[in-house]
Order: sequence, then structure tokens, then C-alpha cells
Amino acid sequence: MFPPTLRAEPTARFYPSCPPRLRSDLVGPICFCVECHHRLSKTHAETLTDCPHACRAAMRNVQGLSWLILLVLTPHTKGDLSRPGKPTLTSCRSPEKETFTCWWQPASDGGLPTTYALYYRKENSEIMYECPDYFTGGENSCFFNKNNTSIWVNYNITVVATNRLGSTFSDPVDVDVVYIVQPNPPENVSLSVMEDKGWPFLRVAWAPPRKADTRSGWITLIYELRIRSDAENEWETHVAGQQKLFNIFSLRSGSLYLVQVRCKPDHGFWSDWSSPSQIRFPEYFHQEKSAWIVTSAVCAFIFLIITVLLHMNHGSLKHCLLPPVPGPKIKGFDEQLLKKGNSEDIFNALVVSDFPMSWSSSSNSEDLLVELLEVYIPEERETMLGASKDLGGGSFKTSDSDSGRGSCDSRTLLIDKCGRPKEHEDGAEERVEREDWEDARDDTGGRTWPSVFPGLSDRPQRSLSDGLSQVLGPSEGQVCKQIKARSDIDIAVSGHKVSPARWSVEYVGVQAVVNDDMVILQPWGSGEGCTPPLSSLQERDYSQVKQVRSDDTLLLLHKVSEGTADGREAATSFGNMSQKSATCMNSTAATGGYVDAAAVFPMTTY
Amino acid sequence: MSRSLTSVWMLLVSITLGSRPAIVAAAPVCGNGQARCRVLSLADLFDRVIQHSARMHGISNDLHSEFEQYFPPSRNHVGRTSRNCHTSDLLTPNGKENAQRIAREELTEVILKLLKAWRDPLWHFHQITAHQHDLANFSSDKALEMSDMVHELRKGVEKVAEKMQTLGMISNSVGTLADFLPSESGGWRLMKGHELLYCFRRDSDKIKNYLKILKCRIVPEHGC
Repeated sequence: MFPPTLRAEPTARFYPSCPPRLRSDLVGPICFCVECHHRLSKTHAETLTDCPHACRAAMRNVQGLSWLILLVLTPHTKGDLSRPGKPTLTSCRSPEKETFTCWWQPASDGGLPTTYALYYRKENSEIMYECPDYFTGGENSCFFNKNNTSIWVNYNITVVATNRLGSTFSDPVDVDVVYIVQPNPPENVSLSVMEDKGWPFLRVAWAPPRKADTRSGWITLIYELRIRSDAENEWETHVAGQQKLFNIFSLRSGSLYLVQVRCKPDHGFWSDWSSPSQIRFPEYFHQEKSAWIVTSAVCAFIFLIITVLLHMNHGSLKHCLLPPVPGPKIKGFDEQLLKKGNSEDIFNALVVSDFPMSWSSSSNSEDLLVELLEVYIPEERETMLGASKDLGGGSFKTSDSDSGRGSCDSRTLLIDKCGRPKEHEDGAEERVEREDWEDARDDTGGRTWPSVFPGLSDRPQRSLSDGLSQVLGPSEGQVCKQIKARSDIDIAVSGHKVSPARWSVEYVGVQAVVNDDMVILQPWGSGEGCTPPLSSLQERDYSQVKQVRSDDTLLLLHKVSEGTADGREAATSFGNMSQKSATCMNSTAATGGYVDAAAVFPMTTY
Repeated sequence: MSRSLTSVWMLLVSITLGSRPAIVAAAPVCGNGQARCRVLSLADLFDRVIQHSARMHGISNDLHSEFEQYFPPSRNHVGRTSRNCHTSDLLTPNGKENAQRIAREELTEVILKLLKAWRDPLWHFHQITAHQHDLANFSSDKALEMSDMVHELRKGVEKVAEKMQTLGMISNSVGTLADFLPSESGGWRLMKGHELLYCFRRDSDKIKNYLKILKCRIVPEHGC
């Protein structure tokens, strides 16, 4: 900071070496010696050689005049007049990093005409320069043109306010032009509406300010734009980077939009916003129909749901949409008992409670003997149906192990479905069986469950399988063989349990099962169209199936009186059965119409 | 449950790996006889060094602001206006016309000299900041980063100069003067931290600007 001297000093001391010292005077322009290609004062533009001379001359003039003026003016100086107040440098700006302008703010002038001057010093130099141009930048400004501007050089700038009574220096300010760049706003902002696959959008384009030289790489500008619709107050800002083009989407149709753009160098200040450009976004209605279709479909669906919900209370709809779940139909089935009782009680309840009663209630008033029929496939024989004449609780359990045998294996059961057995092979077996059966028949006293199969283990496996393969027709062959396999296992497991002496054996040929309680049985000796082995059963009693106990057990209703009426009735009810079965039935009027369980029920035992 | 989770995880991994090829892979350095090597054009090289210099300048700017904030230079410094950077001796163009007027080789030389001049001082500065515990950690990291970047940038500009020479855009005089290191004077050792930063901030801006001007003089069709 150089010391300002406010007194006029002898000229000889300063001029030859041109020291950077300020010379001021009471009145008149300040003169000091500089690298004199600069102006010494507002009124002089001197060259180097003129510098000391002009300064001297001016100083001498001033000196001569100063005393005179002082004498003249002294009576006029009152107490309220003073030296000027301290000016301040407000800002310096460069629009393109090639020139710059500094502005200052004057303080009070002290009641006297005050002049202002700006002096600057470059970095690492003691030489003081005065502002080259006070006019271009306007009032209280100093403009540095290209020749006077050096980039990357620190300027130390001071403003001096001078009046008659003295000078006041402002605080010096350091300025490096690189960091004071504030460009002009971008120019030629153009708005246009363009289309992208039927959707319109706004394209904003602009040009860099004219003075900023971006083409040579001297300045790099980054841009920013903002947009708002006429109705709103808030601007939406977008950063555009270094590009000079920007697309804005999702604008409201029919609105008027205002757009402004501004720019900034990489280190510097933002320019002012460009003057707003207006554009009205066109009205558009997108041609896409799929959105409407989807919307209407969704609405219709929702409407339908609501309608359904409203009408849910109506029973029919409810029944249609949510059919009632069928409950268990087992007679004697007590849910409460299931919840708390043990299994024995449950079985007792199921089995014992009204077992005879229900049947008797539904049957005719005649004295009925209910027979229980077990359908069971022996290891070596086809299934045989035995009928026992008694009911007993105990035998239920014992026979459980034998239950589950499918009746498909039974030659007697599937006679019509599966084909005819060979007479010669099976006839012997049948005869043997018959003998056994007849023997065992007398032992039916205490047995409820037939089972059957005396001496099964003695029979060779081969005969059974052969019999089956002949018995079973091709349509049922697979089914029957499956049953056979299972039944073999079952029989092998429990075959020994079967004691022929325990149960009485009665064989009935079941042809079909009708409804839930009727089984069409085929009599053994039904004559033409029926298998010969059946003839032996002609004189037997035939049973009507009352109930299907489980997958493998049929409860037959044995009618002691061989009422032909029933038989005929039953026969007539099966008018749609095959001819064969019909003939069989007709020939044995005593039997009534019975159904082959295997033919009607799907084999579920396996 | 775990199986579905595994499949979802595999899907995510495949998507992530599958999307990787969208990122531009860095071209390997072309050695002798490498067949599938992607050769960078001069414009690309310029872009890279300019980006590098812009980043270097950004860091120096940040560091300078931090130093001003934490170590405000006292007003009593007599020689405040006589800030003497050790690179002041280098003749660098101080204006647009000057920069456009001097020859390309000279401009390249100036850039290289500047970069060379700052290698030692920045390393020294990093050492200072690393040992000063009252400085924030990020200052030390930034100082190290700056020091590395000067080194990298110098190598980058040398490559650019090489490429320009091979393309015949500049004469082969570049590099002969490049060994001149004005910083041998060691004057930078006397500078304080914030002075150093002030000087480097300015010099990094010079380097960035000179590179941009050089690029727009040599390959003007790419983004000038």
C-alpha cells in the first residue's frame, strides 16, 4: 500500500525515475508519473517523453494557481465543507474474459465538486496506472479494453475521490479477471413443438452470447433453462450442460409456456436470464384407443363384481357360485362323538347303533335277514362273495383285514364284462370250491362276514391267474390285473388268516350295482348266456345290496322269500343294461336284478 | 422357497452381468501387433486430457477455498500484492490473442513446462499436509490426488504431443526443451501453503485453457 502524499512536492525529485508515487494537489487534476503511454489525467494523453514535462508543466501551473485559488476561495469554505467521503468499489465484471469493467459507489462529496479516479496496479509491478476509459462502462465505471486486460494477472484497484479539500482513497481490491467472468445471456432462444410418435414435446434451442468465444475454446459455457406455464408462479429449472438444445416433455396441452435460458462459465457467475420466450402448446388428444378399452374393461369388471356382491344374499346366486359342500352321509356318523370319543366308541356308534334298524326301516315289512357281503379277492381264486346269515360286531373287525379286495378279479362278478372263463380249467376249481362252500355253509352260524375262501393257500397261483386272464375281457384286463396284483399281496399277507372253517361261504355273482343299495347279482346257473358255473347257484338265495359300506364292502339285503316281484322290479330297473345281463336276469327270476359291483363302481381299493 | 430365492438371485446376477457390456470398455493400450486394439483418435486424447485438467483444477479450487477458510491470510502482509509464484518466470500467454497467436509447438511446450514445474512443489505440499494434524483429512487426500494428477496429466500431454508429431501437425521440436525445469530454483520452498495453492489454482486454470485452445486449433470439428 503506497502512502498517498497530499502535498505538492518539488518536481525534480520524481520525474526522472518515474517512481510510482502519487502527486496530488489541492485543486486540479492529479498528476503523477507513470509508464507514460497511459493518460496522466482526464485531460491529457501523453507519451513517454511528454510524461515528465507535461506533469511538470501541469504541476507548475497548478502550483501557481493553487495559492491564488486558495486565497480566493478561502472565505467561501465554511465548516460544513469537507473532504469527500470514501468511495467503494462495488464490482468488476468481464463478459467474455477479454475485457472487464469496474464500478464504484461514491460517498458524500463533502459539499464540493468531486472527481473520481481509478488506479490500478498489476501483479508484481510497482507501476500505477489509471483507468483508461471512464465512459464506456457508464457512470462511475472504468472499462478495461483488450489491450489493458491481462488474464491470470492480479489487479490491485483503487478509487480516489478528490475535491478541493482533499482526496479520499477507497480500499484496494484484488481482481483476477478469470474469476469475474459473467457472460451475457444466451441469444436467439427459439421454441418449437415437435412430435415423437404422436406425442408432442417442446424443443428449446439457443445460441451462446455473441461476445463469448466458445468456438476457439477460450470460454466453456454451461447452460440452464427454466420453464413455467402462464398460470403458475413457480419455475421449473433444467440443467442443459454444454449443449445448446433441450427437449421438454410432459407439458400440458393448450397452455401458454414461458421459457428462459442463462449461462455460466466453468468458474464464474451466472448470466442474467434471457428475455422470456413464449409458446402455446397445441391441443392434442392421443389417438390411442387401447387405454380406453382397458379402462372400460376394468370398469365393467368392477361393476360386475359389485353387482355380484350386492346379490350375494340371494340364495340362487349364492348356490350357483358357492355350492354347498356335501356333508358326510354315513348313517350313525356322529361328529360330536368324533371330536371327543375314542375310536372304539366311534366304530361302535357307526356300526352297532342303528345298523339293523335302518335297514329294516327301509326294507319291506317282511322279515328280512340282512346279510353282509364282503367283496374280496383271494390269492388263488377270483373274488368270491360270501354271505353270512348273522350279524356280529366282532366279525366286522376281523374281516377288516380281508376287506379291500377288489371285485374285479372275481370271475363271478365280472362275467359279463370280462368275458367267459374257460370251462374246463375253471370248472374243476369251481367244483372244488363248491364242495368247500357247501361244507362251510353249515358254519355260517356265527359269522357275519363271509369271507370265504377255504383252502385258498392250497390253490396254485397259476390257476387263478389263468382263470383271471380268461375271465377278464380285454377292456377290463388292465383293471383286473391291477386288482389282481393288489389282491395277491393282500391275500398273501392275510391269506393265512382266512380260515375256511370260520366263515360260511356263499357265492353270488354280482353283475352291477345300481344306486347305492342295489347290486345286480348274476346267478350261478342262469343258463344260456351265462356262465355254466353259475348254474350251481340257481337254488341259492340272492341278495340285494342295501348299502355300500366302504370301497370294498357291500351290505346285501337278503330276502328269504324269493320274491319274484322284487326280482322283476329290480330287473326292470335295469333296462339299460346289456342284453346279456338282462337275459341272465330274466332266467333267474328269483334273483332279482343285481348289479355287478365291479361294473358300476370304479375300483378304488387299489 | 429356497429354490425360488436362488432362481431370483441368479436372475438378478445375470441381468447385472448382462447389462455390463453397455458400459464402454476402456480400450487397452496398443502394444506391438495387438490385433483387436482400439486406437484412440487425437480428439479423444484431447478430450481425456482436458477432462483430467478440469478435474485437477476443480480440486485445486476446493483446496484453495478450504485454506482461505481455515488459514485466512492476515491483512498485515506487506507483500500481499506481490505474490510471486515460482512459475512467474515462465512466459505464458496472458490473453486470447496471445494464446492464439503463438505457435502450437510453443503452446504445447508451455503446458509441459507448467506441468513439470509443479511436480515437486505439490509433492512437498502433500508432505506438509500429511504431517499437519490440524488439517482435515480430506485436505491431505486432495493434496495427494493433485500431486498424482499433475504427474498423470504430464504423461497424457506428452502422449498427445507424440501423437501430434506422428500425425505431422506439429514439428518435432517439442520435447527438446521439455527438460528445462524452472523449478530447480527451489523458490517454491519458501512459499507458504495458501500461496502455493493460489499459484497452483491459477496455473491449473491456465493449463486447462491452453489445452482447450490447442484442441480447437488442431481438431476443431469435435465440440468446439
